[in-house]
Amino acid sequence: MAVAATHVGGGIADHVHPEPQGFIRRYVFSIDHKIIGIQYLITGFIFLVLAGLLAEVIRTQLMNANGGFVSNNTYNEVYSIHGSAMVWLVVIPLMTGAFGNFVMPLQLGARDVAFPWLNMISFWMFPVAGLMLFSSFLMGAPVAGWTEYPPMSLQGEAGTSMWCAAIFLVGISSTLTGMNFMVTILKMRAPGMTLTRMPLFVWAQLATAPLSMVATTALAGALAALFMERQFGVPFFDPTKGGSPLLWQHMFWFYSHPAVYIMILPAFGMISEILPTFARKPIFGYKMIAFSSVTIALAGFMVWAHHMFTSGLAPFMQLPFMLLTFVIAVPTGIKIFSWITTLWGGKIHFTSAMLFAIGFVVLFALGGITGIFLASVPTDLHLHGTYFVVAHFHYVLVGGSLMGIFAGFYYWFPKMSGRMMNETLGKWHFWLFVAGFNGTFLPMHWLGFEGMPRRVAVYDPQFQFWNRVESVSSYVMTFAILLFFVNILVSLRRGKKAGPNPWKARTLEWQIPSPPHYYNFKHVPTVYGLPYDFSEPLPYRGLDDELTDAPAPVPAGAH
Amino acid sequence: MAVASLPHQHAEHAEGGVDRFYEETRDLRLTGFLFFLFSDVVLFSAFIFAYLYLRNSGQSWPPPGIARLDVAFAAWNSVVLFGSGATMHYALENWKHGNFNKYAGLLIATIVLGIAFLGGQAYEYTHLYFVDKISWAGSGIFGASFFTLTGMHGFHVAVGIVYLTVLLLQSIHGVYTKDKYFGITAGTLYWHFVDIIWVVLFSIFYLI
Ligand code: HEM
Ligand SMILES: [Cu+2]
Repeated sequence: MAVAATHVGGGIADHVHPEPQGFIRRYVFSIDHKIIGIQYLITGFIFLVLAGLLAEVIRTQLMNANGGFVSNNTYNEVYSIHGSAMVWLVVIPLMTGAFGNFVMPLQLGARDVAFPWLNMISFWMFPVAGLMLFSSFLMGAPVAGWTEYPPMSLQGEAGTSMWCAAIFLVGISSTLTGMNFMVTILKMRAPGMTLTRMPLFVWAQLATAPLSMVATTALAGALAALFMERQFGVPFFDPTKGGSPLLWQHMFWFYSHPAVYIMILPAFGMISEILPTFARKPIFGYKMIAFSSVTIALAGFMVWAHHMFTSGLAPFMQLPFMLLTFVIAVPTGIKIFSWITTLWGGKIHFTSAMLFAIGFVVLFALGGITGIFLASVPTDLHLHGTYFVVAHFHYVLVGGSLMGIFAGFYYWFPKMSGRMMNETLGKWHFWLFVAGFNGTFLPMHWLGFEGMPRRVAVYDPQFQFWNRVESVSSYVMTFAILLFFVNILVSLRRGKKAGPNPWKARTLEWQIPSPPHYYNFKHVPTVYGLPYDFSEPLPYRGLDDELTDAPAPVPAGAH
Repeated sequence: MAVASLPHQHAEHAEGGVDRFYEETRDLRLTGFLFFLFSDVVLFSAFIFAYLYLRNSGQSWPPPGIARLDVAFAAWNSVVLFGSGATMHYALENWKHGNFNKYAGLLIATIVLGIAFLGGQAYEYTHLYFVDKISWAGSGIFGASFFTLTGMHGFHVAVGIVYLTVLLLQSIHGVYTKDKYFGITAGTLYWHFVDIIWVVLFSIFYLI
């Protein structure tokens, strides 16, 4: 981009601020997307531990058919907060806030997101919302599950209102992040980086951002209505006052089905970066993958009522929602085939990141298949409300999203910290996790088929054997996650120095030092092509100074 | 980033060129602001959906025992709000042409009309409450949807009035120039947005 002679000063790309000094401005109220990304990571991992402990309370209770570990009411509180925290405080913030923030601007060749201050504010809403959510235990936590259907949620204790407020706040944070990312991706790409030259992780964020923006705002409406009804008696959902409990279900699922794509699309993007890097092959079907993300995001708004087949939905509404749900599985299938084709005949390096990526493809595919069972009305009538649904969404969310987070973490940790993760611990983490995961969730398929209902504190003794298998396996899974955290701590102190590009990857973030400088790039590069052609030279110009002692850009004067 | 071609009227800018940093950040802020308005539309849509859903799940509307809304009064009040949309539009135009006094006058007119609209709404609420005995929480889904949606809109008008007042003070203190007036553009967009939402609310509460 030549600067015409009449132009005074530079544009945003030439505008570099001096790096703030002092701990607070640097690490607490930072406006640097990389620091904010890491703040999201740490906070998200803390909530992962807390929500994981709640999961172990659930599994310990279910060791015995007649429970006995916690009271029935506590059990209800525990699974409600477990689900809410995993969705809103772990998976969504990690997918968008953490990886989106750290990686996306670097891959775009930008110096930061479009609105760095807004980014900081969005981040700080998140831990506050998290504390609010967990504080609801002190005032009687919600007991109607993460979906909080009325009328039960209308009868819950004060903590249910706190739940509304907490989810509202974290939702605003996610909406603002969505807007910030949209503008960043649409407006701040390096010169020459057309939309069809963007890395697939950026495409995934571009497909996710509008979901965060639109769907989350609709959820805010539903939460506000529930809050008003609980606190001020304004009738929306209470059938005795003319309200409708089904209205909540519509509003909630209008958000929450798109939200499942907020939780999985970024992982699709990560996998699409990791597989080609470690198979040393171009990604197969770049355009199909990019395009299918967008299709999934749009079509995701038209299938919400597949969660409501047993809720008294008119039969003429069931058929279109069933068919549309089948249709939306097609772009998902396309991705899976693209990934398999990418691996086909590749020279695969089985690093920890790659293992998690491959594990993702397999386990996510299984969850997608059970999704089809649930999407067909006749089978769903039998399976709805059983452990089969629990199996489905843990395959897509743990086998999918969480494995994606692990894969992404092993992949980008060297860039964030400048050090390598320990591969031996990484492989232990992977194999124990996969074993524990399948032991925990695979039996839920047949338990569900046999009719074991979800969200119960005690159950029929005929299900006891498999429940014990599940509980023991879940301890293995937790142990694996513990190894992961040990690995992080050990690697941060003693990990090998990573250098700029340990994986010989080709996207922009790997062409600069690890960790990157405050200003990301000494000169904003120009992009000439896709990053995935491993046999070609890199498609960038202007990066020659990055790894030399060439001077850093001069901070701009006051504007 | 398409920033290369810029309108010529900027040529008389102080240093004889264009402040690219300003142009680019304005572009970002404008896009971000439009997305913000879009999300706000979604928030209204959620409640509008709730209203239509509840309305259609009952037999009659308004529900038995609820008086009809005063359409004529609300129509006059709407005219006030739409009038403020027009004054705001011309305020921005005058700013662009450098007519500061006309700009300020029209902006003040907008603020006054906005306050008048809120006054009308306050009158309507009091009337409904004291005469027709219709309240937010005590009148079933009618009170819930009517007061929530029009109240949300009224809140947006109130925020707009504060915003426009800040704009007025800022422009008196020379915060904006003939070339750099993004705040005024944003205020205008916001005010039009509030107008358009009212068109929808008026139609669904008073006309159907
Ligand atoms: C091939 C794609 C998919 C299809 C066809 C599908 C279909 C379905 C259906 C029909 C249900 C409702 C089951 C019932 O309650 O009776 C369901 C539940 C659920 N799905 Fe999926 N799904 C798919 C992918 C995903 C993905 C990618 C995620 C998240 C990352 C996800 C998360 C969930 C969750 C959390 C629930 C349970 C909600 C609850 O608590 O009731 N699904 N799915
Ligand atoms: Cu769904």
